[in-house]
Amino acid sequence: MARLRMFAGIGLFLAAWQLAASLEWVNPLLMPAPSRIVAALYDLARDGSLWTHVGASLQRVFGGFLLAAVCGVALGMLTGWVRWISDIVRPMIEALRPIPPIAWTPLAILWFGVGNAPSYFLVFIGAVFPIFISTYTAVRNIDRAQINAALCLGATPGLLVRDVLIPASLPIVLPGLRIGLGVGWMCVVAAELIAAQSGLGYMIQQNRLLLQTQNVLAGMLTIGLIGFLMSIALEWAERRWVGWAAAYRS
Amino acid sequence: MTTNGAAIAVESVSKRFAARGQPAGVVALENIDLSVEAKEFVALLGPSGCGKSTLLNIIAGFIPPTSGRVLHRGAPVVRPSRDRTVVFQDYALFPWMTLQQNVEFGLKAQGIPPLERATTARDQLARVDLAGFEDRYPHEISGGMKQRAAIARALVLNPSVLLMDEPFGALDAQTRVLLQEQVARLSGETGSTIVFVTHSIEEAIFLADRVVVMSPRPGRIRLELKVELPRPRLPEMRKDAWFVSTGHELWESLKSDWQETKEARS
Repeated sequence: MARLRMFAGIGLFLAAWQLAASLEWVNPLLMPAPSRIVAALYDLARDGSLWTHVGASLQRVFGGFLLAAVCGVALGMLTGWVRWISDIVRPMIEALRPIPPIAWTPLAILWFGVGNAPSYFLVFIGAVFPIFISTYTAVRNIDRAQINAALCLGATPGLLVRDVLIPASLPIVLPGLRIGLGVGWMCVVAAELIAAQSGLGYMIQQNRLLLQTQNVLAGMLTIGLIGFLMSIALEWAERRWVGWAAAYRS
Repeated sequence: MTTNGAAIAVESVSKRFAARGQPAGVVALENIDLSVEAKEFVALLGPSGCGKSTLLNIIAGFIPPTSGRVLHRGAPVVRPSRDRTVVFQDYALFPWMTLQQNVEFGLKAQGIPPLERATTARDQLARVDLAGFEDRYPHEISGGMKQRAAIARALVLNPSVLLMDEPFGALDAQTRVLLQEQVARLSGETGSTIVFVTHSIEEAIFLADRVVVMSPRPGRIRLELKVELPRPRLPEMRKDAWFVSTGHELWESLKSDWQETKEARS
């Protein structure tokens, strides 16, 4: 019943929009009908330009995300384990964290010019904080009794890390990575609006200048869809790898 | 008082914890001397806050004493060892591993090949009546089963000393009695020296060869009691006249400590 209402809601919204656009209650140049957006998406996919831009954006988001994951996890672990590192690092992180990633854009252009580099940088800035914080929290919350249990069972440092510390941290680190990737995806689009020559952000910006509003909306739709799919995929991975954690907590 | 041949010798151990508002800290243990013979089953009995778990953690090598030392077969304890395994009150099983993987963990740490450790772990699980549950995860089984799995994980390494920290504290009364009987049986089979922390007088008398009674603030050994019941310990011994009267006497002499703790808490 809830599902039915959900589809009814979306259907009603799209129908009203279609009607308003085709009866020209709204200016179709500024707000084209859903049918025209779907057609535009189809055309962009057929001539291949959509895939080029999707590819460019994905490459940037994964590049920046990978860098953020490596740095965020490593720094989070060090900060969680070593008191004096925590004393130095955490105030710096807390000072930088409230700055919205987009506010770094001018600096990114100044430092890296226009191209891939500022996008990598902005994705990194957006993703690294949630990843750092989740890793730090995970390390701080590891059950001391489980570490003691492993030690009295003769665990070597390697086994302790691989079989105890990493699996114990994953239930908090994985959601941090998912949030980081989501923020990174927003950042890559923002970066491409200003500082790139390809990518979905660039694509919608160019089409705005050409007043091809249906292409702008088709680009927005693609951005939303990809973000949604990334989130779904990571949630699935979380359920699969750390399914024990939900049951364990309850 | 180093005793030759003692499995565990605790020599004038004191432990002081830092505490807010108390510059001198809190004395958790004061001048503890305790010697445990090989294959002896010793129960550390006392109300909460008497430092019995702290003492166990020091014997395990998890925390260092402020002064004094602990010897395990004559060698000073400086860190945890697989020859001194621990069973914890809240089980401390690894929730991301099946029971089989939990029990195999210590064997894996020793580098025993997969096939051999699988067989050894399965046998050990069967010994605590968990055959058929090898592939379950800890969250899928009851508290009593979890604690049996944790005991299997500790015993599979054939430790010369087994340390048990209020292992049945979190279990309901019926499960508790059943597990006491299982531990009574296992302790006869293994040949490990056992130090068992509890605040249950009955549990201590039923299981131990010797009951070491501790009192709180600061934690001290108050008295020791040899249990003259034969082994194996059987359920009907709980009704034995000596068992009942000894339990009663212990309670009479400890009542004031127990009540003090309760009042201090409330």
